[in-house]
Amino acid sequence: MATLRSGPPPRGNPRLSHSASCDNIIVLHPTPRWEPAIATGTSLETGAISAIRRIDALLYRNANDRVISGLAGGIAHRLGIRTPYVRAAFIVLAFAGGVGVAVYLAGWALTVDRLEQVNPRNPTSRRQLAGLGLVFLGVLVFLRTTGIWFGDSLMWAVGLVAFGTAAMWERPGAGGQGGLGAVITDSNPGRLRIAVGALIMVAGLAALIGNLETMSDIGPAIVAAALTAAGFMLVFGPWVLGLVRDLGKERQDRIRSEERAEMAAHLHDSVLQTLALIQRTDDPRRMVTLARGQERELRSWLYRRHPDEDTERVGSVIEQLAARIEQDHRVPVEVVRVGDAPLDDHTRALAAAAGEAIANAARHSGAERVSVFIEVEPRSVEVYVTDQGRGFDVTAIPEDRRGIEHSIIGRMRRHGGSAEIVSQPGEGTEVRLTLPREVP
Amino acid sequence: MSQVSVFLVDDHELFLTGVRTELEEHYDVCGWSGEVDEAVAAIRRLVPDVVLIDVHMPGGGGVSVICNVLETHPGVRFLALSVSDDPEDVIGMIRAGARGYVTKTISPAELVAAVERIAEGDAVFSPRLAGFVLDAFGQSIPVASDPELDQLTPREREVLRQIARGYAYKQVARRLSISVKTVETHVSSVLRKLQLSSRHELARWASDRRIV
Repeated sequence: MATLRSGPPPRGNPRLSHSASCDNIIVLHPTPRWEPAIATGTSLETGAISAIRRIDALLYRNANDRVISGLAGGIAHRLGIRTPYVRAAFIVLAFAGGVGVAVYLAGWALTVDRLEQVNPRNPTSRRQLAGLGLVFLGVLVFLRTTGIWFGDSLMWAVGLVAFGTAAMWERPGAGGQGGLGAVITDSNPGRLRIAVGALIMVAGLAALIGNLETMSDIGPAIVAAALTAAGFMLVFGPWVLGLVRDLGKERQDRIRSEERAEMAAHLHDSVLQTLALIQRTDDPRRMVTLARGQERELRSWLYRRHPDEDTERVGSVIEQLAARIEQDHRVPVEVVRVGDAPLDDHTRALAAAAGEAIANAARHSGAERVSVFIEVEPRSVEVYVTDQGRGFDVTAIPEDRRGIEHSIIGRMRRHGGSAEIVSQPGEGTEVRLTLPREVP
Repeated sequence: MSQVSVFLVDDHELFLTGVRTELEEHYDVCGWSGEVDEAVAAIRRLVPDVVLIDVHMPGGGGVSVICNVLETHPGVRFLALSVSDDPEDVIGMIRAGARGYVTKTISPAELVAAVERIAEGDAVFSPRLAGFVLDAFGQSIPVASDPELDQLTPREREVLRQIARGYAYKQVARRLSISVKTVETHVSSVLRKLQLSSRHELARWASDRRIV
């Protein structure tokens, strides 16, 4: 929806934003960027996408509020509390046997970045870098105190290698390329950084090799394995990381374009078809009916209040009946509803009787429009069906016209309600249906 | 009586043209605009009797036009005209100071009559608007802290129910055995209550509606 809005930004509530876009929606519709031609994936793929969509809806990393990855910011936003509390919780949990760290890493891997405003020049902020540095130092100190440690000199060497690699491989930002990408695109600051990074890395490697002599007691096999793993990570790590990130971005793009495609498809099936139909119609009455039907359909699709509400409330049922009668008889039916009540046997009968009354008015009254007023009060439900049409003599209903007697008056009486018909020739007709409610 | 001057504010050009043609036969359409700031300036310059105004427009919308104009020219009367039948839009426009609210599906004859009524200083309640007001002041809302302000009198409620049932003011008057003028007085006092009641009930009612 957000892609459609061109009006003023909504003030706080989602409903308003929908209606704000409503005026402009048809004007905006031919925007050329809409490309409905999206290849539809296999059912497996769509299943995976919907699962991903569910995670995305639940949790995300807040790119606007991040020290490390923004995960805490995202969680805080979702829970509606302030970010420092979430961060504190993670830190406390981290001391509980490292649970916090594990949870954090899992969260990081599963979520994607979401940001309200992109700063393309500086995707990794200083604050974030400082945060990562501190986390790294913290882990080192932790390892040292717990005894998982290979000696200070070795760790210095490894640290240098890591730092150099990081400087070289800083991932491409949103606005341009960094790291090795910058070399390819020939940008000067990037080159400088890579040169420095490479130097630090080489120095670190040298120190590492120098240290290897002193650690013969660990066992050459472990050293070899560790070195292989480290080398592997150095070479492929950034690439794998980039791939994962690209995947996340692609996933977001795909969700967005799917929404766009769904909207385009819907507008095509409904609005465009109706407009085409209207152009081919000479009968003004039919044009009005088509336009009204389409309007109602588009409204309900745009606002989509609650899909299940439509079928379970008496007001909605009468509205649907009115819509159908309006289409069948080409007479506008205006429904005004105050309150609503759940559907049971009695209210269902009320709805059916109301439908019969509306159909009668549309069929026989000759009025330009039928008004329906539904009012749900604590003790009763009342429905008024009014037309300004030709009216009739209530006392002179012919014996063979049993519609009113059977399907309106009789039906209401069977369900404990009442029906009253007020009409005079030339004065229009009003049908009043009253149904007492069982007070719970 | 001199001819009523009308100003139109709507960013939908096709619709604007249509309404203009319909109204020009009956009123002096002194100007129109599709843009908020331009409209405010033009209304201040021309000081029309009635302004027909759309709810949603780029640059602030109908509410900001009404607020801005009423600050300097409290005599200008506004009739909101919109495709939106969202209760929040309706209540929002009335609270800003509009004297009535009709949806764009209104027939040309009804629109002409509505402008006439607004020009005479009365409020215009379409059946749908009457329904919203009944809902807003409905029995489901607990006793208000200022009952005089927030409760509709039984007579006002009855008038609104008749309007919600689709009757014109004249028919309402006949059915309730009162004069048309009395109907208009009731409707105007409902409008006043709606504008004055700055209580949380309306806001809560609106948010309830969204959840339901």
